[in-house]
Amino acid sequence: MRRLLDINGLEAGYGAARVLNGLSVHIDEGESIGLFGPNGHGKSTLLRTISGLLRPTAGSIAFEGNDITTQRPPAIVAAGLIHAPQGNTLFGNMRIAETLELAAFSKRARAEAARRIDEVYALFPRLAERKQQSARTLSGGERQMLSIGCALMCAPRLLMLDEPTLGLSPRLKEELAAAIAKISKTGVPLIVVEQDVEFLLSLTDRLYMVEHGEVVREISSANAPDHEEVMRLYFGAEEAH
Amino acid sequence: MEALLATLVSGLVLGSLYALMSSGLSVVWTTLGVFNFSHGALMMVGAFVAWTVSEVLGLGPVVGILSGTLAAGLVGIVIERLLVRPFYSNRNMLLITAMTTLAAMVILERGAQMIWGARLKQLPHLVPGEVRILGTTISAHEALLIVLAPLILVALWRFTVTTNRGRSLRAVGQNQDSAALLGIDVPVAFALAFGISAALAGLTGALLGSIRFVTPTMGSEPLTKAMIVVIFGGLGNLGATAGAAYLIGFIEAFLILGLGLYWTPFVLFLLMILVLLFRPNGVFGGK
Amino acid sequence: MANKPQLLAIVALFAALAVVPLFVTDSYIRHLFIIAFVYAVIASNWNLSLGHCGVFNFGHLTFFGIGVYTAAIASKTFGINPWIAMLLGGGTAAMSALLLAAPVARLKGIYVVLVTFAFTQLVLQLVLSQSQITGGAEGMVRLPFLELGSYSFLKDFKFGYYYVGLVLLAFSCLFLAFVSNSSFGKSLKAVRDAEDYAAARGISVARQRILALTLSAIFTGIAGGFYAIYLRVASPEVFGFGTLSLALSMVLIGGVNTVFGPVLAALVLTFATEAMAGLQGFEDARFIVIAVAMILVLRLAPEGLVDLLGRLRLPASKART
Repeated sequence: MRRLLDINGLEAGYGAARVLNGLSVHIDEGESIGLFGPNGHGKSTLLRTISGLLRPTAGSIAFEGNDITTQRPPAIVAAGLIHAPQGNTLFGNMRIAETLELAAFSKRARAEAARRIDEVYALFPRLAERKQQSARTLSGGERQMLSIGCALMCAPRLLMLDEPTLGLSPRLKEELAAAIAKISKTGVPLIVVEQDVEFLLSLTDRLYMVEHGEVVREISSANAPDHEEVMRLYFGAEEAH
Repeated sequence: MEALLATLVSGLVLGSLYALMSSGLSVVWTTLGVFNFSHGALMMVGAFVAWTVSEVLGLGPVVGILSGTLAAGLVGIVIERLLVRPFYSNRNMLLITAMTTLAAMVILERGAQMIWGARLKQLPHLVPGEVRILGTTISAHEALLIVLAPLILVALWRFTVTTNRGRSLRAVGQNQDSAALLGIDVPVAFALAFGISAALAGLTGALLGSIRFVTPTMGSEPLTKAMIVVIFGGLGNLGATAGAAYLIGFIEAFLILGLGLYWTPFVLFLLMILVLLFRPNGVFGGK
Repeated sequence: MANKPQLLAIVALFAALAVVPLFVTDSYIRHLFIIAFVYAVIASNWNLSLGHCGVFNFGHLTFFGIGVYTAAIASKTFGINPWIAMLLGGGTAAMSALLLAAPVARLKGIYVVLVTFAFTQLVLQLVLSQSQITGGAEGMVRLPFLELGSYSFLKDFKFGYYYVGLVLLAFSCLFLAFVSNSSFGKSLKAVRDAEDYAAARGISVARQRILALTLSAIFTGIAGGFYAIYLRVASPEVFGFGTLSLALSMVLIGGVNTVFGPVLAALVLTFATEAMAGLQGFEDARFIVIAVAMILVLRLAPEGLVDLLGRLRLPASKART
């Protein structure tokens, strides 16, 4: 099977503080993966390094067989490797419709913009209702929808979602989870960072547990451990930290 | 009554000039978070290049003004690349770039002095003749400035609102990382913002070069006025900046009428300091 | 702040400067030293607000200009003894700094730059508009000169003025060393480097800024008074971009973390610019050279050249905070 994304021995960090310590993960064609583990151990840093916001100090990243280790964000986005960052990091004074149109920035995305914007509005009817509102008037859940909507506008070949349901009410969380599942069904492979392991198990094929900037465990959804073991794994890790 | 109308018209001319100047400052500020002290000097570059192309090379004022605009834009991009970009990740970026652009101003002004000398120069009017507005006679060139300024401002505003290239400047100004994740090339957006702003300054200088004299220091007075404007309007919003530009133009014209030429700048600066005391984000500036 | 070798170097420098006029009889060279002393006072005091307190103060030259005009008006218009007129410059400069500090203490970031810069313009416009008092654009000339008993400072080839300038610089340096070693000076740096610290220790940043700006104006104003009395001229040029960028480059090249860096930079740069002024075709180019030097220092040695030299020589020293 061909590898969609292949990351080997990745090292990266901020200044003198190294966050990723030789991390290796991969995605085969046709699958999605999840990342979990304690906060501050490198999950977001990994996504930032993949999308070119951080330059790795060692290791390699290959996407669809091409080495993208030293590529800058515009080239990575153009290749279809899209990252919806954590938190509601949007452009406050820009309208929803404007933001979505802007998100189709690369040439490839531009060509599909008209079709994709309809898909985004169909997926998130709330955004369609608020087209002309500026992003700063949105609620937390709506901002998360806009963030994912923007990522879809970028014409993703691989979509990286960083804690898409963070801080949302259970009802909203369910709504977003359903939307993400829909996206996955359309054939877009995902890398999802989440704290909720069961959510990840339901959505993806394999999970990596990341600790101290390294993969410490790999779990396949097909023979997933039971609920209790997951809880032990997860909270055990939290305590160890 | 006649004096009042004349004052209104002269306020309109000043307002147009300040609007062109301060909108350029505002574009760079909102995109990069840099206050460009060399903005006035870029205006001067536009005027000198326009003069050289139009008068020395004899290609006429239209080609001259276009060359001046283009030349200032290019110099602006060079300034961004050499004097602003190296400091983006610096903790004191704001202060350092204020100083490096101040240095750029010194370099451009002294450079112009060396290249073009101290002799007073003036560009011919782009359109000859005179126009009567509100019972007041002004040169057709000034009338052109009055018409051109709002057109350029609206074009600039449309650019940042309706095109993705223009929106990318706003996006980068608000959140560089999020913009980069949409595929926007952040350094390109920075260079573009600086280039547009400098080209605007160059155009203003080339147009002003037929109303005032073209000298190496011709940009410092408009720059300080533009600073008053951005303080009144807040730096963040193009519309508020333009509104403040016209307001300051009118206030200045009426102050000259009422207090005379000498006291006017003093009162303007005093007003500005008062505004900052009570409304630190500008008269029109929100939060 | 200053460790032993540094202190020795400083004492040696002042001792050397004190004997210079005994060997250098050329009044032009002495003149350059006097101008350098004035710039050294401006730059090192500016550093108190800009470097130590972290206030983006672009209006420091205003304090100098106010000193210039205070001394000029006091001595010429009111016939006050020029010695006293010079000192009065320090008083008015400090008062104007207090006035400026009121809005500045409440503002942040770029608005501090804009207001302080506008303050310079405000005072300049005031000077220009009040020509019956200040002489307007032409300025004031033929100001009274210094006398000490029957000793006239006019005919001694600038011997007397040299020492007045040097003593002024020495007092200014002592004052700055005292301020920067006081608990106030230390808290300035602590707050500049970590704003949270201020909140945690209950330090009022606004009060600090007001105090730093006012203190930095005192000797700057006196230097302005001395400058006016020495040259016997008060001209609005002192408010211009030229003086501003020259003084700023001295602060930057000297290093914003030290007291004596700007002093050294002022001495070196004054002579360097004068040397270049003598070269054919360099009248304008020298300002370009200084501007480029300033940019290079910001890029390559943001702490200033003096600091860079210090680090090269004492790599293990952790004297700086």
